[in-house]
Parts: sequence; structure tokens; C-alpha cells
Amino acid sequence: MSNTSGNAYALTTLCPITNGAILDDEGNETEAHDKVVRRLLQDIPLNEGSFFTKVDNTYFARLFILNDVFFQQGNDFEQDHLKSKYLCFNSNFHGDLEPYLENMWHNCEAEVRNIWQHCVGFNRVNSAHEFVTYIKACQIKTTLFFNGSNDESLAKQLKALYVKQMFGEFVLTQQGKSASDTKQNFKYFLQRVQLNDLTSPSWKPGQGELKP
Amino acid sequence: MSNTAGKAYAMNVITPIPWWKAIWQWFIFNAVVYLPVFLKGLINLSLIHYARWTIIGRNSFPHLAASQPKEDLHYSYMMFESNFNGSWDQYIDSFSFAIPSGLNMFWKYNIGYPKSIPLHGFYDYIRFNQVETDHYYNAYPCAAANDVKSAVSLLDNLKAFSEQKLSLDDDEFLVAYNEFLNDNQASLGSMGVAPGGTSHV
Repeated sequence: MSNTSGNAYALTTLCPITNGAILDDEGNETEAHDKVVRRLLQDIPLNEGSFFTKVDNTYFARLFILNDVFFQQGNDFEQDHLKSKYLCFNSNFHGDLEPYLENMWHNCEAEVRNIWQHCVGFNRVNSAHEFVTYIKACQIKTTLFFNGSNDESLAKQLKALYVKQMFGEFVLTQQGKSASDTKQNFKYFLQRVQLNDLTSPSWKPGQGELKP
Repeated sequence: MSNTAGKAYAMNVITPIPWWKAIWQWFIFNAVVYLPVFLKGLINLSLIHYARWTIIGRNSFPHLAASQPKEDLHYSYMMFESNFNGSWDQYIDSFSFAIPSGLNMFWKYNIGYPKSIPLHGFYDYIRFNQVETDHYYNAYPCAAANDVKSAVSLLDNLKAFSEQKLSLDDDEFLVAYNEFLNDNQASLGSMGVAPGGTSHV
């Protein structure tokens, strides 16, 4: 069993959502916690607007609610039903779990609190360390992790994608050019793309379109 | 709901598995870890960024406070999650046609699994047990898995080329440059937004 493949990590968590409804100041029941969480999740902006852009080294992340488990009609099996609904927070990232979660807390504390406040036991979380402890308590160890990409840092992946885009465009413009022009233009290209600087120029995390 | 983010689709499938068979399944997954030849079909498909199978024991659902009712389950569960390129249909078709025996090996102990062929039963099984994603984040919506892999390779090769070849005279440089393009042509494919833009289905 392994949560890791080289430097890539597969985080799988099931965070139990508080049963029942939120109480207003007068003790009256309002909306159910799980419905609020679902709305919050669906309202998170996409691509460059997602708060996961601020969580360093996140390749992919997803949030969904497991309402119950399923049994196909016609199966003559005993059927289970969950007593809690679960917020599933699953992520693929580069590096180790603890610094990843600490970074998530430091850079996205407000967003994390807004969503996870509806989960059982989250009222005890008030620091990065406690957030790490909480998520670890909700973690299910990945049984088989398949890495079909690579385990480089996100900064290197994004830089590489930027260079791939720019070099592809460069090659098209150089067709038929003289040897001296090609070499000179290649030098300009290197100055522009800065191969050894992973931070800039580069793609931004979650960037939803190609930019010149 | 956003099962897609750019070129990637987030699939979540959770299926019941008898708890004692989950132990056998666990051994199969571990054997695959040590004998990755079983994953060759997946690698050849080359449309998955990252995927995982997680067996959730019937007593393993997190229980964090006395106020939370404890689960009382007959079955363990297997959660499959994938970040892949293409549509749902393309993915299921590819899986079913390219690695039918691999699919059967990974799901055969799960309740109601119809086997990967014929396709319709497998379609129905995945669709019935799939959970939609409420928020999906992809760090590079304009890139497929092959783009990420080829881009890293191109970056490393381009660094080496620029360190070694810039000292050549113009004509020798042009020969080396053309050789570089020839050697790296598989990494030069163009990228862009997914068909249909970045819609989220």
C-alpha cells in the first residue's frame, strides 16, 4: 500500500459532515450542513479562481460529498447505508503531506474554515498543526496509486509547459531562416524564456487558456 | 458540479466489496505494486495523469467524536478515482477495450461487477456507482498528461542543447538545431483549451 509514487502523493480523505441542520441565533433549524457544504463547494471559482492555486504543488484536487453508498437494483445483497455524509477531499501533489497541509492552512485558512466548519470535530482546529492532525484523522491510506504523468515539482511542470508552448511557436517562425538568423533568434528565445528560472516567465497554476 | 477542468475529467466510483474479499483484493493491488507489468496497459493508454484505488475497510470510516454515529457496515468499499484526458465515454471505451483483463482483476470481487466485456454492462456499472465531483481543480487545464511528460523532457533536452551547442559556428549550429527538432518532434505538439472550451459538465 502506498500513498506515494516517487515524489507524487495521493491524499484520500473522508471528513464526516455534521448531521442535521444549522441552528440560528434563536435555536431554530435552518439549512442542513451537507446542503450548505455542497453549495459552498459548487460556488468555488474554477481554474485560476480556485483557492487550490494558492496551495503549493497541487497537481489536481477535488471535493465532493459522499451521501451514501450504492447497491444496484436487483442485487440480493444486504444493503448498507451510511450514518454520516462525508466530505471527500482528495488531492494529488508533489512532496510530503505535512508541509502540503500546513501550506494549505497558511494560504487558505479562510476558505478551509468556511467549508470544514460543517465537519465533525473541526471546531477543535485552530492552527496549521491541528489542521494536519485533523486531516490525518480523516485520511484513508491509498491502496494502489498509479502515476501516469511524473513527480516533478509543479513549478517545473508549469515552466516546462510554458517552454513547450513557446518553443513550438518559435520553431514555426524559424522555418527557412538562414543559419546565422536561426542561431541569433535562438539566443533571443533563450533570453526570453529563461530556462533556468522556474518561477518566471511561466504558466500560472490553473491557467485556463494559452497566453502569448 | 464540475467533473471536468480543462482537458481533465475527475471520476469517482465507489463500490461495495465483501470484507473478506477486500483482503484478497488488497493482496492483488500489492502484487501490482511490486509487479508493475500489470500496469503496462494503463501506461500505454497514456491518458491518465494520476489514478488511485483505495480500499475502505468496513470499520475504517473516520469516527471523530462521540456525537457522530458509528458506521455499522456489512461491506468494505473500494473507491476508484482518476484524473484522465478525454470524455467519459472515451475513457470507459479505452479501458474496456485496451485492458479488459486488468479491469476484471481490479474489480472482480466487487458486488455487481459485470466484467468489462460486454461494454454496456460495464457502462451501467460505472455510471450507477459514480459520484459527481462538486469542485475540481487542475493546475494545467490546457495540457494533457502527454503534454506534461513531453514538456518536462523537452525542457531538460533544451537546457542541455543550449549549454552544448551555442558555441558552434552558425552552420554547425543549424545542423545541430535541426537534429534537435528531429529528436524532439514528439514533444512539439501544440496545446490549447479542451474541445468545447473549458466547460464543466
